[in-house]
Amino acid sequence: MILASILELLPAGLTMLSLGTVFAIILLIASIKLKVVVDEKVEQVHEALPNIDCGACGFAGCASYAKAVVADPELLGKCAPGGPETSEAVARILNLQVSGGGVELRPIVHCRSHTVDRTYYATYAGIETCTAANAQANVQACKFGCLGYGDCTSACKFDALHIVDGLATVDYEKCTGCTACSKVCPRFLIEMVPFGHENMMTVACSSKENGRSTRSMCKTGCIGCGLCTKKTELFTLANNLARLDYEGYQPSEETQAAIDKCPTGVIVFRGKSAPTPRPAG
Amino acid sequence: MHPPENKLTEDSQIQQMPNPKLVSVLLGQHIGAVCSSMVQKKDKVQFGQQIGQAEGFVSAPVHSPVDGVVRDIALQSHPVLGREMAVIIDVDAESSIKPLPNGQFTADFDETAFSDKQIRDAVRQAGIVGMGGAGFPTQVKLEPNPQTPKEVLIINGCECEPFITGDYRMMMEWTYQVIAGIKLACRGAGCPTVRIGIEENKPEAIARMAELLKQCSGAGNMEVVPLKTKYPQGGERQLIKAVWGKQVPTGGIPPMIGVVVLNVATCAAIADAVVNNAPLTHRVVTVTGGAIANPGNYYVPIGTSVQDLIDHCGGLTENAAKVVMGGPMMGLAIADLSTPITKASGAITFLTEETITKAKYERRQTACIRCGRCLTVCPEHLNATRIAHAVKSDLLDVAQNYHMTACIECGCCSYICPANIELTGYIKTGKILLARAKKRMPK
Repeated sequence: MILASILELLPAGLTMLSLGTVFAIILLIASIKLKVVVDEKVEQVHEALPNIDCGACGFAGCASYAKAVVADPELLGKCAPGGPETSEAVARILNLQVSGGGVELRPIVHCRSHTVDRTYYATYAGIETCTAANAQANVQACKFGCLGYGDCTSACKFDALHIVDGLATVDYEKCTGCTACSKVCPRFLIEMVPFGHENMMTVACSSKENGRSTRSMCKTGCIGCGLCTKKTELFTLANNLARLDYEGYQPSEETQAAIDKCPTGVIVFRGKSAPTPRPAG
Repeated sequence: MHPPENKLTEDSQIQQMPNPKLVSVLLGQHIGAVCSSMVQKKDKVQFGQQIGQAEGFVSAPVHSPVDGVVRDIALQSHPVLGREMAVIIDVDAESSIKPLPNGQFTADFDETAFSDKQIRDAVRQAGIVGMGGAGFPTQVKLEPNPQTPKEVLIINGCECEPFITGDYRMMMEWTYQVIAGIKLACRGAGCPTVRIGIEENKPEAIARMAELLKQCSGAGNMEVVPLKTKYPQGGERQLIKAVWGKQVPTGGIPPMIGVVVLNVATCAAIADAVVNNAPLTHRVVTVTGGAIANPGNYYVPIGTSVQDLIDHCGGLTENAAKVVMGGPMMGLAIADLSTPITKASGAITFLTEETITKAKYERRQTACIRCGRCLTVCPEHLNATRIAHAVKSDLLDVAQNYHMTACIECGCCSYICPANIELTGYIKTGKILLARAKKRMPK
């Protein structure tokens, strides 16, 4: 009885066995013929990267950057969030020397005007993103100032940018310098600046209006008076707007005098332990 | 779609606006390169003097509408660009005022006295741009193109936007000048035929234009086409489809199918420019809406501020809530009342709180209920909701798969949406983001 049922199952069993054998052989051949050679270095580099896919390096993500940097050592040091440690780790894997290293870039918002400091002609009731608001003429009097709808906040992957009373404010403790914010600002207010010191001095304004117009639009805009340029040559004046030479900047009595002399208080410090600037105006 | 017409000013004759004390002539009043200033601070300028030099092929010079002294060349509020350089002129008390057309043009105006080259040069020197709203330099449209010869000149007399009546009044009052301009434009562009598209809600204009065309000499190739009243019938692409039966390819422009479209006001300006050598310094502006004391159609020096127009028209009513440069559908809200009139601003609409609420401006945006009304009203047959959602989610490639850039921004979808979603606004935002992303893309 039992024997009969085993015999009955035999053909099916044999068929399965032979099918399995055939497929096993096919798979074996395929695994040899179609073997993908993965460069171990690419995998190692990928592991050494922060794996946050922020895109600061200009590639789609960490994996594509890893591939690119192995192929082209020139691209070393492009990982801003990883900083020098990551660059060194990658260099060790690739047997390269980190050249220079350079100063880390950090964003500075070139506006210091909060909602209360700005002039508004009317109430904006459109879509609440900076890009949409920027398409509306005169959404606020100043064409150059921060709109405060937070396109940069949504672009930041590190929770390092917040709108404080209508002004985009960088949290330098959290910022990795990935440049995402500087790319989305429709008014191009956010500039990546070489932070040679813990706190950088800046003219926090982008207004190219003449002094009278700027004053009518904002309590704390740069009016292009040029007092700072008389204190130190680090400041230059163009298009009614003073600008600091960030690379040459060294804290000194002269630069401090420029801050004290600035009539609108638009020269401020930005950084991890920046002192609170004097009130606007 | 057919929004309420609200043509409050259709029976008010075009009136002269006296010179204001100050005019700000913007140097960028057209699509294309912004002009460079030809005058300095404290220079004396005269009526009709060129003050802005055209930069490049797609550009148009600007001229002073008054006699006066240049106070400053500085940034000034601009209805589209926010702030743009302008020549600000203190107007002389005895400055000459450009009079309204005085019946100079008659039925037997002979356009063959001018060669086509002469016409195009006059149009370029006069700085004429499309006066229907977009402000595209007219001489670029008239320029002959050997590859696609021009088949037809379509004159846009639709005026499909609610409230605006300037073109209608011109067709009624300045009929012969408009027809002379059409003849000249036709000759300048070398078009064998002319069609004049007018919406059926203006039967008097249709009758008057048709009747006077019959009396005119050499107008055998011209014909008035009555069109169904709907918005946006006067959109370039919609007008061509309705009048000539041809579809402008998506992403293409009318010259590709041999069509030139000009607005009625532009034609009147062409006649003035070619025959009288008069640059474009004045235009008809419809001042309208429930929030202005005396609405009407005014012949206004370009550069006059909105505030001066308000003062001239008796001031605003108390419930004034929103000022729109242009009509309520496609016009741009302006915040600064010192914004000057440009060559392309055909109307200023002052809306009251009530009309804005009626037009669903409470901004209580709710979720899309998938009713599909935006699909039925879209004149370009786009799916506005899908595009808007894609833009909101930062998926520009998806938005582009739904042909975001084919949107003509007529505003029908936003108008009809029962959930108050600002569809047109999202699509406009998406277009800006796309343009910026393209700029960043490595070549």
